[in-house]
Amino acid sequence: MSAPEPVVSVRDLKKHFPIRTGVFGQITGHVRAVDGVSFDIAPGETFALVGESGCGKSTTGLTVLRLTGATGGSVRYRGEDVLAADPSRMRELRRDMQMVFQDPYSALNPRMTVGNAIKEIVSAHGIATGAEAKERAKEVLVRCGLQPYHVTRYPHEFSGGQRQRVVIARALALDPGFVVADEPISALDVSIQSQIINLLEDLQDSFKLTYLFISHDLSVVRHMADRVGVMYLGKLVEVAAKSEFYREPLHPYSQALLSAIPVSDPTIRKKRIILKGDVPSPANPPSGCPFHTRCQHAMDVCSRIVPELKPTATGRQVACHLVHPVS
Amino acid sequence: MSEAPEQVDAVVGAPAAGLPSAPGNVKTSELREIVKHLLRNRAAVVGIVIIGVFILASLLAPVLTTHSPTDTSLANRLQPAGSGHLLGTDELGRDLFSRILYGGRISLTIGIISVLIGAVIGIPIGALSGYYGGKLDMITQRFIDIMIAFPGILLAIVVVTVLGVGVQNVMIATGIASVPIYARLVRGSVLSVKEQSYIAAARAAGLRDFAIIFKHVLPNCLAPIIVQSTFQIATSILWAAGLGFLGLGAQAPTPEWGAILSNGRAYIRTAHHLTTFPGIAILLMVLGFNLVGDGLRDALDPKTR
Repeated sequence: MSAPEPVVSVRDLKKHFPIRTGVFGQITGHVRAVDGVSFDIAPGETFALVGESGCGKSTTGLTVLRLTGATGGSVRYRGEDVLAADPSRMRELRRDMQMVFQDPYSALNPRMTVGNAIKEIVSAHGIATGAEAKERAKEVLVRCGLQPYHVTRYPHEFSGGQRQRVVIARALALDPGFVVADEPISALDVSIQSQIINLLEDLQDSFKLTYLFISHDLSVVRHMADRVGVMYLGKLVEVAAKSEFYREPLHPYSQALLSAIPVSDPTIRKKRIILKGDVPSPANPPSGCPFHTRCQHAMDVCSRIVPELKPTATGRQVACHLVHPVS
Repeated sequence: MSEAPEQVDAVVGAPAAGLPSAPGNVKTSELREIVKHLLRNRAAVVGIVIIGVFILASLLAPVLTTHSPTDTSLANRLQPAGSGHLLGTDELGRDLFSRILYGGRISLTIGIISVLIGAVIGIPIGALSGYYGGKLDMITQRFIDIMIAFPGILLAIVVVTVLGVGVQNVMIATGIASVPIYARLVRGSVLSVKEQSYIAAARAAGLRDFAIIFKHVLPNCLAPIIVQSTFQIATSILWAAGLGFLGLGAQAPTPEWGAILSNGRAYIRTAHHLTTFPGIAILLMVLGFNLVGDGLRDALDPKTR
């Protein structure tokens, strides 16, 4: 993945939330939600971030779009430093970098018709105004499988799947190049999920979109993604092309995650790796490798030295002392 | 996606597609929708009628009354209701009916204007404080704390003392006294609304903070603001009465509901009509505003429309 210039390039991204206690709110610690994450996303690619709840994948998405301030690191969009852009440049950049939210029920302003919601952002960016903006709203709604008359509807008049179509239409209205999809289907009925997934894929083809796809559903990721990044406790522990990742996960955590995917054939007996214990608190992460407290292959070195995310001989990236023995 | 059948016969679908409407048209059609819904709400209509009757009665007071509200007649003092005076007379023989009608002019104005002042100043303070948070919020809220530490009436007294005595200053004073209530209320609502994803979506779309606050945050804080405002009208009238009682508000012969009520207090055992009738007037008016407020809250919410 080195040939084309990456659309998005994230380096050592950190987001720490201060923990405040007492009357005067002294900072007594930090929750390291995202702790040194680096990845590139190539044009037209779908890069999936997977991991269990609280591992920092959603925060990574928000920080990449600068919807929450980063504590450290850099995010480059087509070579431009997003985190350093001034407010007016940032507004222009936002046109290119959009987001699809997890919960379509809270992602739409209940007091605004979907037509007005789309019109508003279209005219804020000077793409179109007045009647033209309304036409644009109808156009994107139709493109996302809704009807033109839906522009006059309020969010509560839609079903969950339709709402998610509206959320996607709103993101598309600005004709972005890069879309962060933060668990876009996890709040939807299973019967609707595949429709939304197909819509996202279809739109990716027609609009040449680049996706950062955040999910905990490994079956969906297998369908959608080109490359997969596994996060654990604010860190990327493995990054690999989809086919390689699903064929042979290298990190013990990835192996455990993949062993949990249900198989449709009941005659296949699969050995599941059951992880012991809970995810450690990101406010007080374990020393060394963040995963060593639950890893079945943990060695002495794991609790002492943090393994770095390094490429293997085959070009995949893994952060594990098993793969990259400490000399 | 399969469409629900009732969504196919769209109300505005076909015609709206043909003639693209200017933004102004959208606003007026929405306003018409709100009014239509408000008029369908029976309780709200009752409220509108009550308020309408009060306003009309105050405006038409010279026509409706037979006696002057300020002429005293010691021979006719403390007459009960019906004795040639519709609602009786007060301790100086003034016609209570006239005083209540004329007093409505002042009391209604005080109630409405002071709520407007409080809302217009308090809502933006609360909205900015809640939306931006941080140091701005810290400083604003400590200032609001100081204001809230004084009972509203005391704060109003301070303001009247600074501005000088008079009905106009009473409106300003009660308005300022209600600023911290609005600021705190709105801040609380903003704190919860701004965590919704649609606010993040608005920011992700690159909207300016001003647009986000006024088009996305505040419209979703309307319900508590409306409820508070209907109650605040009553509270302001009572504060104004208190100021009048202390000699800081409407001056002696000027009829004003609160003042009538507090003067009548001394005769509550012998001539209860002096407190009963202005009390009923205040009660009815507050009820009217509450009914309209509730109706307005529902009419403004697309979910209950």
